[in-house]
Amino acid sequence: MSFRDLFRFALSAVLQNRRRSGLSIVGVVIGVVAVLSLTAIGEGALRYVTSQFASLGSSIVNVSPGKNETTGGMPHGIGGVPNDLTLQDAIVIERRVQSIRAAVPVSVSTDVVSHLQRARRGPVVGATADFERLQQLDLATGSFLPESELDRGASVVVLGQTVARELFDEANPLGATVRIGSWRMRVIGVLRGRGRQLGMDVDEVVFIPIAASMRMANKSSVSRIMLELWPRADQDAVIEQVKQLLIARHDEEDFTLISQDAVLSSLSSILGLLTLVVAGIASISLAVAGIGIMNVMLVSVSERRDEVGLLKAVGANQRQILFIFLLEAALLSSAGGLLGLTVGTLLVAIGNLAYPTVDLVAPMWAVVSVIALSLGTGILFGVLPAWRASRLDPVAALQGH
Amino acid sequence: MRRIDFADLMRLSSGALVGHPLRSALSMLGVAIGVAAVIMLTSLGEGTRKYMVSQFSQFGTNVLSVQPGKRKTEGVPHAFGGTTQKLTIDDAEALKRIPLLDTVAPAAVGQARVEGGGRGRSVFVHGVTADFPAVVKFGIRQGSFLPDGDPRRGRSVAVLGPQLKRELFGDANALGEFVRVAGARLRVIGVMEPKGQVLGMDIDDAAYVPVATAMRLFNLEELQEINVVFAHDGMTAEAIEAVRATLIDRHRGEEDFTIVSQSEMLAVFGRVMDVVTMGVAVIAAISLLVGSIGIFTMMWISVGERVSEIGLMRALGATARQIQLVFLTEAILLTMMGGVSGLLFGLFVTLLLRLALPGFPAGAPIEYIVAALGVSAVAGLASGVGPARRAAELEPVEALRTE
Repeated sequence: MSFRDLFRFALSAVLQNRRRSGLSIVGVVIGVVAVLSLTAIGEGALRYVTSQFASLGSSIVNVSPGKNETTGGMPHGIGGVPNDLTLQDAIVIERRVQSIRAAVPVSVSTDVVSHLQRARRGPVVGATADFERLQQLDLATGSFLPESELDRGASVVVLGQTVARELFDEANPLGATVRIGSWRMRVIGVLRGRGRQLGMDVDEVVFIPIAASMRMANKSSVSRIMLELWPRADQDAVIEQVKQLLIARHDEEDFTLISQDAVLSSLSSILGLLTLVVAGIASISLAVAGIGIMNVMLVSVSERRDEVGLLKAVGANQRQILFIFLLEAALLSSAGGLLGLTVGTLLVAIGNLAYPTVDLVAPMWAVVSVIALSLGTGILFGVLPAWRASRLDPVAALQGH
Repeated sequence: MRRIDFADLMRLSSGALVGHPLRSALSMLGVAIGVAAVIMLTSLGEGTRKYMVSQFSQFGTNVLSVQPGKRKTEGVPHAFGGTTQKLTIDDAEALKRIPLLDTVAPAAVGQARVEGGGRGRSVFVHGVTADFPAVVKFGIRQGSFLPDGDPRRGRSVAVLGPQLKRELFGDANALGEFVRVAGARLRVIGVMEPKGQVLGMDIDDAAYVPVATAMRLFNLEELQEINVVFAHDGMTAEAIEAVRATLIDRHRGEEDFTIVSQSEMLAVFGRVMDVVTMGVAVIAAISLLVGSIGIFTMMWISVGERVSEIGLMRALGATARQIQLVFLTEAILLTMMGGVSGLLFGLFVTLLLRLALPGFPAGAPIEYIVAALGVSAVAGLASGVGPARRAAELEPVEALRTE
């Protein structure tokens, strides 16, 4: 028997029992669609997070106070430290480390911002002019904090969009004076709205010069220092250089350096793991679909006993019979896999139309492995029925009816 | 055959199951896998929730935490510093005068390198008071905890967590030795009992010093939090209000602090875990759907194979309804047996997990067990209706003539 004959024989079995074949295929389709759409969601989340980070610029290194060797400790920046990070630290880093374009000291506190009769409590961020570029802030009107010596802070403030609207309604805030705590500050700019980003709502924030914020809080420490590297700077080398510089100034390593890349990579490995787990759970249904195929194949074999007997009687060998039934199983599962791929791709496309902000796409590894998996399960679960068919005794099979 | 009693029904319905043992077993296996997946995954979710609850309740459920700064959103606090009115030791002292409060424990935290025994280690240094062990249910292994007295006075003493003690002093005695923290020399007066990780924080690898000492060493202007423990059943709305009113009064009429209760944090966490467990259960239930499609297929085939048998039964007087009932029962038997064996397997694995990890209270929530069985029964019904109706609608004469 030629390959074409074997193929035709297997195909005819699939086509003759359409409902049965259709149902077996549906099982595989559901499994494939589930895996594809879930991994697409996971990948979409990953891309979303990555793009959020990219908008912050990737070559940023954070210096925060405190160092902890305890495993599984809480995030840094909690509690006090013997040696605070100071403005002077930032100045020295910017001056001494050549690969650093800007060292931006940042302090965060909460205070009441008021204008005439209206008051609003919210985060007050002390920063420098470079912060605008670092965070890619957009101004609606006016300008951002002026360039000046780090330790000289004018009494000026830039308002987030929500703060400006709440305090001034439609009136123009530029040039007006607001009170932060008991300090009077002149409004020099209003930011364009941008919404929440990585847990921080820029629209709710007011920005003042770092030196002014430290004067107001009467303290000498900053919350952290953000280092902006020149493009193509060697990040590891810079981190090492800054580390040595600060150890020399503090006499001990009581600070932590984290690059934005390190945060992003640990975040994406968590998301990747989650996607993998969810895909794994969904692919259980593929195994169940495989069992369904096996069952249908068993029926198919027992129904075609006399055909098999006849084939054997005219000289087909065991391997050819085995091949026919394996082919039938493979046809069923690959039809399911391809149909599932089509439906899944369609669903993902619909999802993208419905939520344009998220870039849903089933990752290549998921597509390849789900197709391989569906084909694999079909063949794997086809082995037992096919083996049964190949072992049929031709005489008994022909008599059996 | 005018009446068909339960015994007849069972015999007729199970006949097909027994007649094709491999086929029936495979159909059941599909459902069993789905049910087992749901049971195992929900027991993992439930176990995680219970584990976290037990971690929280180590601190006791009648504990409130007052933290500086006002937050609109609930949940995990941010590391925002610098409010207008500081949360101070004096605030904590004022709270002590409220009746119904058992313990008021101010706390300030810093990170520093602790040096002693010729070695050093960077850890969290907790500024606390003598009441701290009572709040977190801590035991002392050696020596004593921080002495009672005015919390505004910071004595130069320290109590070490067991891990930190081992890292610095090894097996040698640490009591009476000195450690250096942020330039100050503190005398070690005690070593804590090991307690392990609590909420992802290794509290064995830490040092405990008087709160005023910590604030001085770390140049802190305010407390990290004030833990308030209520007397048994004392945590009423009025008592919490009294805490709030006292602090507002001291802070010039401004509510610039946040009161977080353990039960609130637990509730937030519980809601998150419930959603996760539900999501995972739904994804696992996809395989139940696929399994019931398998049963539908097999039932359909079974009807096709038994056309002549059905014709005979009809000829002997069985009604269409009775035929339908027989096939429907067969489908439900298949899925229920699959469901029950999946359930048993899932519970067995959960039991193994519990034996392997004694500290992890894995256990499928009863509502998911009921739901899994219910869904498999409904799946049986749904996948049986089509084939059963097909069987019932067969024309007896036609059916007999086939073959």
